[in-house]
Amino acid sequence: MPMSVTRKSALLLILPVFGLLLWLVLYPNLFVLWKSLVSDNRFTLAHYAAFFSSPSQVEALGNSLFISLGSVLLSALIGVPLAFVFHRFDFPGRRIFAALASLPVLLPPLVGVIAFLFLYGESGILTRGLQVLLGLSEPPFSLRGIPAILWVHAYTMYVYFYLFVSAALKRLDESLREASLSLGASRTRTFLRVTLPVLTPAMVGAALLTFMTSMASFSAPYIFGGGVRVLSLQIYNSKLNGDLEMALVETVVLTLVSLLFLVLLQRYEATGKYRAVGKGASPSLRPLRGKGLRLGMAVLGISAVLFLLLPHLTLVLISFSQDGTWTTQILPPRYTAANYGRLLADDRFLEPIFNSLKMATLATAANLVFALAAGWLLIRKKLRGRRLLSALTLLPWALPGTVVALNLATTFSVSDPLQARVLLVGTFWILPLAYFIRNIPLVVRAVQAGFEQLDPNLHWAARSLGASWFYSLRRILLPLLLPAAAAGSMLAFVTALGEFVSSIVIYTVDSRPISVEILSQLRQFNFGSAAAYGVFLILMIAAAFLLFGRALDERHRPAGQ
Amino acid sequence: MARPLLVIAFAGCLLPAACSPAGTGKVSLVVYSPHGKELLSDHEVRFEARFPGVDVKWLDMGSQDVLDRLRSEKNNPQADIWWGAPSDLFEQAGEEGLLLPYRPGWAEAVPTEARGSGNFWYGTYKTPEVIAYNSALLKPDEAPGEWDDLLDPKWKRKIILRDPLASGTMRTIFCAMILREMEKTGSAEGGYRWLRGLDANTKDYVPNLTILSQKLARREGWVTLWNMPDIELQRARYDYPLDYVLPAGGVPVVMDGIALVAKSEPRPEAREFYEFVTSGPSLVRAAREFFRIPARTDISPSELPSWIARTPIPAMPLDRGLLRKHSREWMRYWDEHIRHKGDSGDSGG
Repeated sequence: MPMSVTRKSALLLILPVFGLLLWLVLYPNLFVLWKSLVSDNRFTLAHYAAFFSSPSQVEALGNSLFISLGSVLLSALIGVPLAFVFHRFDFPGRRIFAALASLPVLLPPLVGVIAFLFLYGESGILTRGLQVLLGLSEPPFSLRGIPAILWVHAYTMYVYFYLFVSAALKRLDESLREASLSLGASRTRTFLRVTLPVLTPAMVGAALLTFMTSMASFSAPYIFGGGVRVLSLQIYNSKLNGDLEMALVETVVLTLVSLLFLVLLQRYEATGKYRAVGKGASPSLRPLRGKGLRLGMAVLGISAVLFLLLPHLTLVLISFSQDGTWTTQILPPRYTAANYGRLLADDRFLEPIFNSLKMATLATAANLVFALAAGWLLIRKKLRGRRLLSALTLLPWALPGTVVALNLATTFSVSDPLQARVLLVGTFWILPLAYFIRNIPLVVRAVQAGFEQLDPNLHWAARSLGASWFYSLRRILLPLLLPAAAAGSMLAFVTALGEFVSSIVIYTVDSRPISVEILSQLRQFNFGSAAAYGVFLILMIAAAFLLFGRALDERHRPAGQ
Repeated sequence: MARPLLVIAFAGCLLPAACSPAGTGKVSLVVYSPHGKELLSDHEVRFEARFPGVDVKWLDMGSQDVLDRLRSEKNNPQADIWWGAPSDLFEQAGEEGLLLPYRPGWAEAVPTEARGSGNFWYGTYKTPEVIAYNSALLKPDEAPGEWDDLLDPKWKRKIILRDPLASGTMRTIFCAMILREMEKTGSAEGGYRWLRGLDANTKDYVPNLTILSQKLARREGWVTLWNMPDIELQRARYDYPLDYVLPAGGVPVVMDGIALVAKSEPRPEAREFYEFVTSGPSLVRAAREFFRIPARTDISPSELPSWIARTPIPAMPLDRGLLRKHSREWMRYWDEHIRHKGDSGDSGG
């Protein structure tokens, strides 16, 4: 192995990758940690003592932990089987529904969560429908408390498992499975000992993202919590009440819990034993024999997806219902296109859509380049500081969006080259930067999972045959990484498109994103128009998913099929 | 090869150039305001017609958010004008050096409580806080008529409130109730007892006004507390079955204001805007179209909509100094010890 070349190319990557992470991720976090430990320029643990001696804070910590672990479990239970249904079997309607199954990861901000209320809340469509159907005098259930939060989390976060496992399944080497089966192992044994281990990096990645997203989740506990205390809400409430020190302590505790989970899971990933010895042949979908089986699988998969899309469909319904008329009925009584008309009549209508598209594109492009570089480093087991690198790339996910934005706003409020500070507050660039930082974990995880499954010998084989480093990257590595990279970038893109919690803190006159426009409509009670805006966003996201999904499928259909 | 990747990379390079704001040669004036899209665009259009060289850009956000933003932008202020917030937020911002003193031409036409210390802000609208209810469920004489009626057990699980930590309106109402009880007993304890009684009847605290009005219209709750202009506006625009009561014993009235943002190079146009939106004609328009009661007393009642004269507002005397000093502590106590302790909410799921 040409070691000198390896070192040099690695060094070329190490500097910018680490530099960027230290500057944009670690630095603002240390800033927060330092602030939480200092009072009147003196070191103190008083804020932490106050935190741990308050029963409501400890309760919030416990709730956050419980909800996050529960969300991981439930999301896996939905996402993994769904990935198998859509990516191991072929049946009519498979492609389009496989793409649609990714949609719930992004409910349009604010209105999306409100759609849950109109569906499962006390006066929701399903609740009232059941009540009338069963002739009850009281609603049969109401979406509230911890079960409600878990419900909403599982509903939206299963997509991490679904997408990551789907990408891994696409890269699964069918010959391994066949070998196992032909050697006499049972199907169960083959699944447990062959298929599942190969999927481990993807599952670990998804579990991490789900856990961290749940820890930092804001809207679900805020709207459905019914008074349940969780850390992310405590931060918000402390800040609103002007208790900045307590908000900082709560932020640090939340971050530490997320990091702890990361350290625990790191033991199960990246040990190299899950690497598929790819020979370039992608697994074929298993055509189902028998009409009944085909139909059964189609019905199962499609009805599951439809069920998961119910909140989106509810939003479409609201966008066509006349404001103020839907009060005691199960379904809206009067329909109108006026909500859309009001949007289109506004000459500032397209502005937020363009802004969001532009910023999401910029951020995602940067994310992809960064993730390829970081992923390339992360698979080097011998690289010193690899664990640190891995932790740093995940850190942004452990932080609530509000905190990321506040950190940026604080750190980059003045230009001071000595302190590595640049004036970004009030400029266009701060929002794309925030999106970039928030999505580092998403794309890096996805790309890393792709690298884990990749046999690096392919690269060295190409090199030894005389291919340049860049040629090997372009012709061998990138095409093999495509499913994972596309899955990650797609998620990052749609997340940035509808991002709300960071945006609201640092958007400027020239960079108002879609989410802020939806808030603006809601503040004016234009509920229908806010929903209509949400529908536009859903359509854009659906288009992105179909486009990416199609490109992937075309690339990975084995020749001759 | 990788088509989507190429598309992304390509678009990423092209878009910023294509979409960067074109130079219009106009002076931009940035306004931060919670007054809502409709009132803001209305004033924007009329101001720009009068001053064609100015491009007014506004950002619509809650008043607490405006303060947060001004703080974080202190080194690079983006806004020229802060239009709309309860007086105590302006006082706070003035103390922190975020505002520019300015004395408008009509300064003498407003009562003393509408003149900010150091000329940092002046009052624009008076916003009364009221008891609101679903008018399809309750007749006017059935609704709670006084604040203390809200504690009657017959409203158990029928009251839905906005989360008071996030809402200036709710904070004002809660603190006013504590101040009221303090006058009787001399300590906040009586006020806490009152709020405990309210919590016992409260079914839920919701995060924003839209959800609140939806829940009320959909009969998840019957009664709430909110401000008068919002209810009037919502009723007039969208036929929501909402009405309100002005308790005769007195209502808290929030003094909304306007201020110039401190900048190293303040734009002269900012003063024009300040004067324009607080001019007689603008205040009359805001009253007629957006149900805003002007703070200025020199506007002829015949020009204002008749409901203003018809509904005298029984303002509750509020000790602003005491309120500013203790509101944080009171709200923290409420959050820790009172919220959802009345076991009326069904937080068990």
